[in-house]
Amino acid sequence: MTMIDEGPLRTLIAEAADEFPVTEGAVDRIAAAASGGNPTTGSVRTIVPHGRWGRAALVAAAVVIVAGGVTLLDGTPGTSPDHGTVAGPSTPAIGVPGAVPSTTVPSGSTMPFANQGPVGTAASSAGAGQPANGATSAQPAPGQNGGPSLPAPLPTGIVGQPTKVATTGSIDLALGHNPLDPAVTRLTTIATGAGGYVAKSALQVGPSTGTVPSSGTLVLQVPQAAFASVLTQVRSIGTVTSMTSTSTDVSGQYVDLQARIDALQASRLQYLTILSKATSIGDILSVQNQLDTIQSQIEQLQGQLNLLDSQTTYATLTVLLSQSGHRPPPPTATPSGLGRAWHQSVSGFTSGVEWLVRIAGRTLFVLLCLAVLGVAGRWAWRAWRRQML
Amino acid sequence: MGGKGTQEDIEVWLAEGYVTSFRTACLILGNRADAEEAVQEAFLRAWRFRTSLAPGSDVRPWLYRVVVNTCNSKLRSEIPHRDRRTGDGDLDRLAAPGDGPAHVEQSGDLVRALQSLAVHLRVVIVLRYYADLSEREIATAIGRRPGTVKSRLHEARRLLAMHPALRSVDDLAGPTDSEVAE
Repeated sequence: MTMIDEGPLRTLIAEAADEFPVTEGAVDRIAAAASGGNPTTGSVRTIVPHGRWGRAALVAAAVVIVAGGVTLLDGTPGTSPDHGTVAGPSTPAIGVPGAVPSTTVPSGSTMPFANQGPVGTAASSAGAGQPANGATSAQPAPGQNGGPSLPAPLPTGIVGQPTKVATTGSIDLALGHNPLDPAVTRLTTIATGAGGYVAKSALQVGPSTGTVPSSGTLVLQVPQAAFASVLTQVRSIGTVTSMTSTSTDVSGQYVDLQARIDALQASRLQYLTILSKATSIGDILSVQNQLDTIQSQIEQLQGQLNLLDSQTTYATLTVLLSQSGHRPPPPTATPSGLGRAWHQSVSGFTSGVEWLVRIAGRTLFVLLCLAVLGVAGRWAWRAWRRQML
Repeated sequence: MGGKGTQEDIEVWLAEGYVTSFRTACLILGNRADAEEAVQEAFLRAWRFRTSLAPGSDVRPWLYRVVVNTCNSKLRSEIPHRDRRTGDGDLDRLAAPGDGPAHVEQSGDLVRALQSLAVHLRVVIVLRYYADLSEREIATAIGRRPGTVKSRLHEARRLLAMHPALRSVDDLAGPTDSEVAE
């Protein structure tokens, strides 16, 4: 295969080009046309590209911006919507007068006890006289005997009243092959030892155990302040398969009942004054009738108040005992300070990696979109520049 | 060529680059009228967008780029849709055998052979052997890599050597590939 020599080709092309005469005045026409036009700025980018470092800096800046945006969208590390996140407009310190913690749990999700905060400190963001919704938490905890959070002192409630919190809980214990009676005895001992009592007891006999009970339900009434310690002791009896705790702040309802009772009693006193001054039989009967109505209302409200008192004085813990549960694995020893620190560091590292993996998908997607846009933009830009120049 | 922004600059551009640019366009387009129009348009565009030239960079390849792009635009959009008889007349004038001196006939053969090349090959041949741009400057002018320019030049020279109009021209045939390798 041959190729044309460069020298003769150059000469021949020059001769061929010389055969095209230049039109007279063409240069002047262009100069005249050019002198009337101002340069267009900003329409065409620099044709000579920036240096590689400039491009690399631009790409790095774009990546940082994308990663930052994705991070902001995703939230901070360690926060996941899958974990019953404690959220609320504000969480004032417990114990500060007038400050009540607000705790909400997304419906359908469970919140571990460890994240629940103080057991028995009810959630309430309502103002004076407003009953609050209770905070409910439930945690399936198979094979775990970790201790729950100890209760913090009850916060002082609204209008100078101590917070009235009604707490109920339920715990399922699997006893494995251990007999039921010793567990029942121990539960009774725990309840009475804490100043409470066994409100209800029901034991069932299973088909495989003959006359020996294989499952049962005990309802313990224990003082509010001792609820957490009782819960801890109860959990040590067997393997916890599920646990639920509900705390309801009834301070508003309590104050409302008290105020209504006070008002009715004031009315009752006035009616008594009127009664003492009545002279006719008709007046006496009429006033007496009103007094009876008021007295009835007072007693009704007082009954509700007493019920609230009882509910807030004693917490209810329902214990479900079962022999059919599997035998739990031996409890792991509580790690020492160094061991705990090591476990925490491993956990933190794992959380960080999880976070990276979680945002990597979105980041890659965004980068892919940007790459496609960049390629398309570059293609369009080159086409436009070819058109313009 | 250098500088930008003043009336003197455009006059320098034109004085130094118009004739070469015009004849480059003629060789690419094969038509004087189209070439004149393209070069005028290219110079005005380049002048209008002169601020887009990076400071300190060479004007020449950039200006050729504008010229080449304008020629490409004409080849793409205008020339295919109109009567080519004017262009053929130019070629006929250049290439009429026996009508003039031998170098005129050879010029006509060359222009005919150039027109037979694909545009992207024609452009690199003209820029290299007429405008005397280096391969790197051609790469800047056409927006490709120098390696691409080199391969296009090789392919264009090979095709020109095979063109029947140039086979009769003496002293054009260079060494074969095997000779070059040796």
